[in-house]
Amino acid sequence: MMQTHSIPSETDSQADNTRRAAIDKSVKGPVLFLFLNAAFWLMASTILGVLAAVKLFSPSFLGDCSLLNFGRLQPAHLNALVYGWGIQAGLGVMLWIMARRSGQELKSGRSLLYVAGVFWNIAVTLGLIGIVTGGSTSMQWLEMPKWTWPILLLSFLIYAWPMVIMFGRAFRPEGFMVSTWYILGACFWFPWIYLTANVCLNCVPSLGALAAGINAWFVHGLIFLFFAPVAIGSAYYFIPKITGKPIASADLSKLGFWSLAILSGWTGMQAYMGGPLPAWMPSIGAFTGTLLLLPVGVVGLNHHLTTLGRHDLVASSPTLRFTFLGSVFFPVTGVILALLSNYSIGVTLQFTHATYGFQIVSVYGFFSMCVFGAIYYIVPRLTGCEWLSVRLIRNHFWFSTYGIAAIVVTSLVAGIQQGADLNNPEMWDQDFMQLSMNARPYMVARALAWGLITWSNLWFLIHLILMVAGLGRRSSAPTLLHTSHDDTPHAVHA
Amino acid sequence: MSANSSNLNQDTIDLDRLHAAVKREKQDLQPGAEPVPMWVIFLAMVVAVIAGGQLGMMTGGWKFETANPFLASTPLDPRPGSGADAQTADPFQTAMKKGSSGYAVCGGCHQGNGLGIPGQFPPLAGSEWVMGGTERLIRVVQHGLVGAITVKGQGYNTPGGMQAFGAAMSSTDLANVLTYIRNSWGNEATMITKEMVEKVRSEEKRSQQWTESELAPFAEKNVPGEIPAGPGATVKPSV
Repeated sequence: MMQTHSIPSETDSQADNTRRAAIDKSVKGPVLFLFLNAAFWLMASTILGVLAAVKLFSPSFLGDCSLLNFGRLQPAHLNALVYGWGIQAGLGVMLWIMARRSGQELKSGRSLLYVAGVFWNIAVTLGLIGIVTGGSTSMQWLEMPKWTWPILLLSFLIYAWPMVIMFGRAFRPEGFMVSTWYILGACFWFPWIYLTANVCLNCVPSLGALAAGINAWFVHGLIFLFFAPVAIGSAYYFIPKITGKPIASADLSKLGFWSLAILSGWTGMQAYMGGPLPAWMPSIGAFTGTLLLLPVGVVGLNHHLTTLGRHDLVASSPTLRFTFLGSVFFPVTGVILALLSNYSIGVTLQFTHATYGFQIVSVYGFFSMCVFGAIYYIVPRLTGCEWLSVRLIRNHFWFSTYGIAAIVVTSLVAGIQQGADLNNPEMWDQDFMQLSMNARPYMVARALAWGLITWSNLWFLIHLILMVAGLGRRSSAPTLLHTSHDDTPHAVHA
Repeated sequence: MSANSSNLNQDTIDLDRLHAAVKREKQDLQPGAEPVPMWVIFLAMVVAVIAGGQLGMMTGGWKFETANPFLASTPLDPRPGSGADAQTADPFQTAMKKGSSGYAVCGGCHQGNGLGIPGQFPPLAGSEWVMGGTERLIRVVQHGLVGAITVKGQGYNTPGGMQAFGAAMSSTDLANVLTYIRNSWGNEATMITKEMVEKVRSEEKRSQQWTESELAPFAEKNVPGEIPAGPGATVKPSV
């Protein structure tokens, strides 16, 4: 339902513009700090991803150096992706959207935010050094030595606090705050799962097999209670902002939010279906993992209905293009999770490369793409200059897209092949090593795909550095990917 | 923006440019009232049915003890000393079983049938040294024995004597082997427990082998200690 476009009087809109500019100015420092550091970690993570993938098909690559074993490179790669890039960039997007949507300036505590940001980065740096020097805890996504988690948790809370305050102070008309619901949720959910997982795994002795289950619960929780809400919140903010259409349905928004909130905390343990856990734990994880198709589908439908009719803007606006792709990868993530959660398919896919495919599609394909979209929107408003080059943005988009798609498809196919071979009675005379070797072509493809993504991120990083340094285009017109619509004024696009 | 307004000075243009990104933004709008379509509700039901299939019998009846919902009966707790294991495993039988493999160390001289080799290695079967006082038996195996000895009326004087084989074993292993030789080849005598071996080990720290005369005071002495109840474990000392 379209609103009547009552054009506000000239003075009102001036006041509104000034107010929004003031909000941008108040969060400029911390947000750019987070984005820039996150982009460096993303670069590090993708390079580590290439090295780890090469190690899989050529173990003698880089020699015998223990620092560069696959067993250390792979967790370093994923931890840099999750903590260095993902959560850090997510916090930047959360802070900006929360300030804007709540109409609140960041009043005080900016220096505390810098301190927390610096400590976050120090903890991640030392944590990764800890992993490559052999101090890994060997728990998935929690490999950094155990003294890092209180620092990370405290830093996160220091960022979450002003966001919660902003939400509390905001004027909140019914149904108006969809994006900030998700962001507010992420402010609470991350501390909950991170604290629970770390206390259980690091402070409670001898949990045995249950510890593995808790670990899997944490990984799924981080994906569906932090990465997903931040990315969905960002998409709910930017899709209407770019298309100029309201969010299609308030009902679908509510349904999507509450079903995600209720279901996500139950999933995860199905990763150990058939394992030595009480059978109902994986079973309930599989149940909710499948039910998550509901919020995934509802949110996807809502985004689709909001974009409908304005697909020309997907071609021209960098923000909408990245957000659109991220929103397409969300249903893909949901479907892959449902497949991995299904007992009849899990028999084949469990403990194979498919798990990696799921992690990458959720953290990179879905979350990171939405965050890139947000960064392309936010940064020009903070730095006061426009993105320099359409070509760089286009390179970033296409190399990332093809890279991620290749990783996800090859990981799934490799997983199906690996799992089917292991279960196949005809393959009784093949040893495990041989079956692993059979996945070699897929691993070569994975290395190449990470290579493509590294290339795209190199230019993204350089582009972002130039923007933060204030060397962007001095213009009042946005940088658009597609300029064939000469009849449309630029202002409509960005 | 208004590039045609010639009366704007440079500062205003700059300010325009700085806020250009903010100015060109679109308004935030109230979400639409599109209802949830009927087919979404239908598909949600399909999803719920598939999801429900992951529950059902896969939950194993919501019991904490069930890891495999397809087993007809609850498997017993596999940990040692718990569940059914504790009721059926007889400490004596366990000691005999483990002792028989530990006996490989002794069998080289005393032979598998426990009869030794006449003139060279004394027998264990029917030997008063084996079925007599546990104190002397433990000391012999723990520290070794040298010089002339008499077993079952026969004199033996093996050059070098018997080495301190027991010193290299854990007290449990040694206790098991001793229980085994005291209850094989027709022998019948009380169990020797790990605690008894430990007691002797803590009392006697010598490094030379014993001689027959040095051990004479211990010939009939038994090391005090609890013997676990169970079939075969409560046999009275035969001497």
